[in-house]
Amino acid sequence: MSIKSILSSRTSRRSFLQGGAGFAAAGSLGFSTPSPAIAGETTWTLANSLRSLANPYHATFAKGGADFAKSIDAKYVTLVTEGNSEKGISDIKALLQRTGGKLILNVDPNDSPDARVIVDEVKKAGGYVVTQWNKPNDLHPWDNNPNYVAHMSFDGVPASKKIAQVLFKAFGGEGGVVAIGGILSNVPAIERKQGLEMAIAESGGKVTLLDFQPADWNEQKAFDATQAWLTRFGDKIKGVFAANDDMGLGALEALRQAGLAGKVPVVGLDGIAAAVKAVEAGEFAGTVAWDPLWTGGMGLAIPYAVATGKIDIAKEPKEHREFYGTSVIVTKDTVAAFKNSPEKLDFNDLWGKATGQIQYRG
Amino acid sequence: MGVALSRASVESIPLWTRWRSWAPVAVLLALCILIRLFSPNFLSVSNFIGLLNSASIPLVLSMGATFIILMGSIDLSVEGVVAVTAVLVSLLVENDVSSYSIGLFAVPIAILIGGAMGFANGVLHVKLKTPSFMTTLGVGFAGIGIATTVLGGFTARISDQSIRFLSLGRVLGLPVAAWIAFGAVLLSLLVQERTRLGRWLYAIGTDEMTARHAGIPIEKTRILTFTLAGLFYGLAGVLSVAQFGQGHALISQGRLFTTVTAVVVGGTSLSGGVGSVLNSVIGVFVVTILANGMILMGVAPYVQQGVQGLLIIVAVTLALDRSRLDVVK
Amino acid sequence: MEPVLELKGVSVSFPGVKALDEVSFSVGKGEVVGLIGENGAGKSTVLKVLNGIYRPDSGGVFIDGAPVRIASPRDAFDKGIAMVFQEQLILPSLTVAENIFLGREEEFLRYGLISKSRMNAAAAEELRKVHLDVHPGRRCADLSFADRQMVEIAKALSLDGRIKGDVTLLLDEPTSVLEKKEIDLLFSIIRDLKQRESIVFISHRLEEVLAITDRIYVMRDGKVVFETPAKDATVKALHQHMVGRQLHHEYYREARQAAPTAVPAIEAKGLALRNGFSNVSFTLYEGEIIGIAGVIGSGREDLAKCLAGHRPIDAGTLKVGGKLVSFRAAHDATAYGIGLVPSERKTEGLVASFSVAENMTLAALPKFVSNGLLRFGDEEKVARDWIARLKIKTPSVRTMVGSLSGGNQQKVVLAKWRVAGVRVVILDHPTRGIDVGAKEDVYELVRDMTAEGLAVILLGDTLEEVIGLSSRILVMRDGEIAATFDAAPGKKPTQVDLVGYMV
Repeated sequence: MSIKSILSSRTSRRSFLQGGAGFAAAGSLGFSTPSPAIAGETTWTLANSLRSLANPYHATFAKGGADFAKSIDAKYVTLVTEGNSEKGISDIKALLQRTGGKLILNVDPNDSPDARVIVDEVKKAGGYVVTQWNKPNDLHPWDNNPNYVAHMSFDGVPASKKIAQVLFKAFGGEGGVVAIGGILSNVPAIERKQGLEMAIAESGGKVTLLDFQPADWNEQKAFDATQAWLTRFGDKIKGVFAANDDMGLGALEALRQAGLAGKVPVVGLDGIAAAVKAVEAGEFAGTVAWDPLWTGGMGLAIPYAVATGKIDIAKEPKEHREFYGTSVIVTKDTVAAFKNSPEKLDFNDLWGKATGQIQYRG
Repeated sequence: MGVALSRASVESIPLWTRWRSWAPVAVLLALCILIRLFSPNFLSVSNFIGLLNSASIPLVLSMGATFIILMGSIDLSVEGVVAVTAVLVSLLVENDVSSYSIGLFAVPIAILIGGAMGFANGVLHVKLKTPSFMTTLGVGFAGIGIATTVLGGFTARISDQSIRFLSLGRVLGLPVAAWIAFGAVLLSLLVQERTRLGRWLYAIGTDEMTARHAGIPIEKTRILTFTLAGLFYGLAGVLSVAQFGQGHALISQGRLFTTVTAVVVGGTSLSGGVGSVLNSVIGVFVVTILANGMILMGVAPYVQQGVQGLLIIVAVTLALDRSRLDVVK
Repeated sequence: MEPVLELKGVSVSFPGVKALDEVSFSVGKGEVVGLIGENGAGKSTVLKVLNGIYRPDSGGVFIDGAPVRIASPRDAFDKGIAMVFQEQLILPSLTVAENIFLGREEEFLRYGLISKSRMNAAAAEELRKVHLDVHPGRRCADLSFADRQMVEIAKALSLDGRIKGDVTLLLDEPTSVLEKKEIDLLFSIIRDLKQRESIVFISHRLEEVLAITDRIYVMRDGKVVFETPAKDATVKALHQHMVGRQLHHEYYREARQAAPTAVPAIEAKGLALRNGFSNVSFTLYEGEIIGIAGVIGSGREDLAKCLAGHRPIDAGTLKVGGKLVSFRAAHDATAYGIGLVPSERKTEGLVASFSVAENMTLAALPKFVSNGLLRFGDEEKVARDWIARLKIKTPSVRTMVGSLSGGNQQKVVLAKWRVAGVRVVILDHPTRGIDVGAKEDVYELVRDMTAEGLAVILLGDTLEEVIGLSSRILVMRDGEIAATFDAAPGKKPTQVDLVGYMV
């Protein structure tokens, strides 16, 4: 569903006009406080805001949201930031206006500072918001009741550490690895690098990091870097660690060119379908699935429960306000079970997959 | 009217100017020597093959881009066209999303699709009298959009081994993709030197008024050149699918910048009329070898970006004939 | 015998000016016809009509007696009219052969590919015709200026034998950029060509025209005013018809030519510019007009640009108003009170999309700013002032200057520098493209300026103009001052005097 389809439906246009008239009236009377609880809009609009639909993670994220909206027969919108913070924020503001503030928003902000602006806007408009992945450390849902419902994330550090250890095990625990990182300033890139470094430290010197290159989440750059590494280090490379599956697949193709696919293990994170297949084929030692379906769906289900009065969010404990989701380590042993796990979410089990409160690491 | 040169400024062309056109080759040689000093593996067979792998797709792309730039235009639709052709190819051969399986027929189809998008570029530019900057930007965005919509943001993984052979296969020890790129270069050279189209796009890029006076069909030439470039981008789309075993909308992310960089570094002037496809071949290798070399030498990632930026500035400074420029925009 | 090429009663009008007024002339087979006239007489308009760039409003063009419509330069070419331009249309990055056959490569196609060997061979043929000893595969960027001119001529001549009808060659000022040796060569080629082609020869060098042509037409003010066989003509008579004014010293307001003051405005000593000019020294006094005569390449255009600060000089000293200066950019010169009225009025002298008022204040905006904002009221007042003083014909101060006629545009440019309060004005071809009435206005304005104590350096369109307006004349050739003449009213040098030092 898109904003266009919302605008083309009768109800919305009427309420849009009413909302507009109301704003004008309120404005002319000099009201500065946000009071767009304009009579007329009676149903909630659900929206997911994410970077781009052109990658599998966010595509599934959006699907999760759409599934939930369908299950309760609500209006659903996907907002795409295209990596542009200003666009992301202004799209959200526009939607808040259009819906008269009756918006439930699940947002994966383009950059951490954006979260603060978005939470403020939603609060002013009287909507409800859940943030994903990126936010400033001092911005907390419990300081912004009831509008800022929750912040969800996945702990990149332990997940990355675990998958790194899976990689080490795959080549016998001793030898050199090369590592491909994401955009160096991204929080996930930092977390995943940290996890790898912890795993290497814990190997007691048995595993060494030959080189680390950022490939900006891009499979082409990972391909080129891996080719160069093969020249530089040759068979000293026992394994390849990639901070996400796309880059891991790029590295895999470089290995394939040298006849090393399946011989030198690769790991990645994100759990995209192609990576899961590679695990099955023995070319990836493992990947980590973040459950974007759950993120996209529950990220709307929880605030919806608050909006409809089913729960009182102020009474919920901190670990229900900022929490990690369940990541699944997918290896050859667990891949079958992973694939069979139900694709349907139980939207009533709000915190069933939460695994603990978010830690702030210095 | 015309390229009016005062007598005095033309009579003496200093030796330094003549050497300017060899600067890109000199840069390439210097790079190779420098990297070899630090990393003996640089010239090993396996690295050479790796370089060819990395350079094949940029080579094909730069052929198309060179023609456009020689004509004095710019083409920002590279990534979009490659995305569309890659996605369509991945769906037409044996893959995990759809049930088509047309094998190597996908190659000419991809090329034709690329040509069609190039044709659209040309027609929009000429008929709407809009700068190529804008029209190709639009077509590029549309391309990414189409590719995203077709696959819904997901990836189609192919299992067609004949397509994968285009990248993984070896003929006389060299990757098939490298041979294909080599063929593309030869074809481009032929078009540039021996066809009327090649002649005319040079003329238009140098001085459109003169070309018009000579009766050269300006509009037709423009449309044909954009179509020609599209054909190359389509081919690059197939090669991308072959290299990564999958097709998706972001498969050529970042290619536009590296392609234009390669063309400029190679010595072709962005204002048109000066340069050649051979220059772009040099440029592609400079860019590829630089990236490869920096990893071989263990240069820190932050420094790499700085070096790449410096390279562009140096290359353009060396190649540009600034004595003729009174107005620099 | 039908003339090969003929114009009958051709008229062409533009808003404000009638460029051609019932012009008729003809060229017979194997004839060399000269077309002479002052700048603005209509010669280039005739060429543009023959070249298909302008369509006649009335009258017609006839080739071999049959009426034709020429749609474009390429069409003219295909019909046998080959023009060699004053400014070169050679593409430097292409080879000689490629330039000669630009746009006509079909002749050399084999399986859709151009056969370089065949094209080079054909080009070699054409080069032989003009006695140019250059390999057809050489890039034109590597050739000398004169050689490139020959390639242009070869390009035009390549029509011979390739079209059905007769070929007429139009040579537009072909000798202005050539040395004596090359001119002789060109003339011998023309004599060769006469047997096959007809030629129209346009030049302002009357002696040359007399030497090479069979018949001469004189144009003035858009009309053909005189026709004569070359053998019956004299320079003096031609000149008379070209100018057509008995009292042409009134045309240049010689009565108002005052003796210069003794206050030096500019003192130049040993100025030099690499590949431009060298050893240029002179003193320009307030109230004086110094005219600089010279052909293209003599260095006078470069000198003007350097004095106006557009290019830095390489050697020598320059003093303005007694102060030693070193200009690195045009605004340095403006700060010292030197303004340049450029030859390319529309692109370099005015901002076409700006209004009259905006153009006038362009060089002196700081005078119209207070508290960081422009004072439009003052701007318009000043503009109205000057419109009245210079008698500029414009609907209002806010009219877009691009819509004014050439003469009025030039007045706006002059006003701009008056508003800026310059003390020295450099005029580079100030009456180019302006009709005769407006020219007189400009001359009047120039006299006004000197009367107010401004100093003027003039690069005139014609020798006439330079002689008529200046109080002193510097003749430049090959970058040096070849001669200096005093030009007090009544004691003016003749064109012949000057020309001797120019070529």
